[in-house]
Amino acid sequence: MKKINLIFISLILAISSTIAIAGDWSKIRIGTEGAYEPWNFTDSAGNIVGAEIDLANNLCERMNAECTFVQQDWDGIIPALTQGKYDVIMAGMSVTDERKKTISFSKAYMTEPARFFTLNSSPLSTFSSAKNLNLDDDGSATAGTISSLNNALKGAKLGVTVATIHEDFANSYLDTDLKIYPTQDEMNLDLAAGRIDAMLCDVGTAEAFMGTAGGANVVTFGPNVFGGPLGEGVGAGIRQSDTDLKAMFDKAIADAAADGTITKISMQWFGKDLAP
Amino acid sequence: MLEAISFGDAGWGDEMLMGAFWTVAVSISSILLGLVIGIIFAGFKLSSIRVLNLIAEFYTTIIRGVPELLVIYLLFFGGGSAVMYVAKIFGYFGYIELQPFVIGTLAVGAISGAYSTEVIRGAVNAIPRSQFETGSALGLKGFRLYQKIIFPQVARLALPGIGNVWQITLKDTALISVTGLVEIMRQSRIASGSTHEPFIFYTIAIILYLIITRVSNVAFDKAEIRYSRGFVKRKIS
Repeated sequence: MKKINLIFISLILAISSTIAIAGDWSKIRIGTEGAYEPWNFTDSAGNIVGAEIDLANNLCERMNAECTFVQQDWDGIIPALTQGKYDVIMAGMSVTDERKKTISFSKAYMTEPARFFTLNSSPLSTFSSAKNLNLDDDGSATAGTISSLNNALKGAKLGVTVATIHEDFANSYLDTDLKIYPTQDEMNLDLAAGRIDAMLCDVGTAEAFMGTAGGANVVTFGPNVFGGPLGEGVGAGIRQSDTDLKAMFDKAIADAAADGTITKISMQWFGKDLAP
Repeated sequence: MLEAISFGDAGWGDEMLMGAFWTVAVSISSILLGLVIGIIFAGFKLSSIRVLNLIAEFYTTIIRGVPELLVIYLLFFGGGSAVMYVAKIFGYFGYIELQPFVIGTLAVGAISGAYSTEVIRGAVNAIPRSQFETGSALGLKGFRLYQKIIFPQVARLALPGIGNVWQITLKDTALISVTGLVEIMRQSRIASGSTHEPFIFYTIAIILYLIITRVSNVAFDKAEIRYSRGFVKRKIS
């Protein structure tokens, strides 16, 4: 019996490739999607680049850690963290209560409101409302903005991407028909083709699409939406057991925000300041 | 457009080709694993031992009855946890990563194996009893009987079905992009997410898959002809 066990374990070790021991943070593995321009994406030479890559390298310098990037499909990005494939997620992931049940987050390193987008030919493009919709504010203005949004979207088909804060928000606040997409790009194509009337997503992602030929007719409408299920912003996802690593990231992010590094990186990649 | 598919650092041509390489590599290793599984479990199904029948029946029923993606999720997320759980029993607490290629091959191979089992079982069943008896009469026993008499005939009958399994296997590899292996599908997603040109890259993916299936069809046709020597091609008139 013992012999069989030994054979089994050596087999397992033979097919395993990287082995890391937790607790020592001189080396940090950062998981990212590598397909979410301009946050994190892959250039045509195959290198991972983007705002979060620059930021991660800067944070790692502050923490005296050597960082490597691991690419992971969005679908499995949280399970792969909890399993230990990498130690941190930096993949444009918004901090939400739902996700906090499984993993913990550093403080937000970038914040960006969500907005609605439609085609310039759509009647929705002329919809006007309050400038901001803060879901953490329980006042009557918030309720008023939501009900005027619901009126405007009556009978319209609204696109969101799956398992995002935008889907959560639309489910809990809007009555409109939802079309749920696996990726932003598919949603972009359907909006441009008129298969949905509007989409709800991050401003930055939509603006990147509006800069391409396919997205030339896309315009934004409605308020900047934030707070509530839309969360505090984008933060680094960390295993709940790694409280020491979370403290290191919190401090590095606070320093990077204070000395203007995040603003600089944000201006470079997004053309605007997303610093928290 | 041409810039997007050019080779070298300025374009995605080399990355897409590399993706195609991994798709072919996983497909080939999966179908081979699947054939080994198929031969073993077809033997189990045809065996007169009840327990072996049940094991094989359980395997093909589960794998063929559950969506492929679920099998892959189970092996990718569950497999890693299971391996680490076992390692913990032996006092090893670190992280053990299963290589995406290994996980992908195991998952797609297990799926492919279930279909191959049925194809091979069907082919063996289609061989007349008299062939076994003739073999015995010639003094062939056990493995030699199968090698000389039965296998060449099974191959002829199983090849069209295996060709079908190959195409399913090839397309199932698209599902293992979740394990992080950069095959055609994952590479197209990376490229389209990075350039916002999904149309170009998914079209290239279609073309790559079609090239691979076309080339493999030719190979399977050749093999079918080879194993059908001495048989007239029957057509329904």
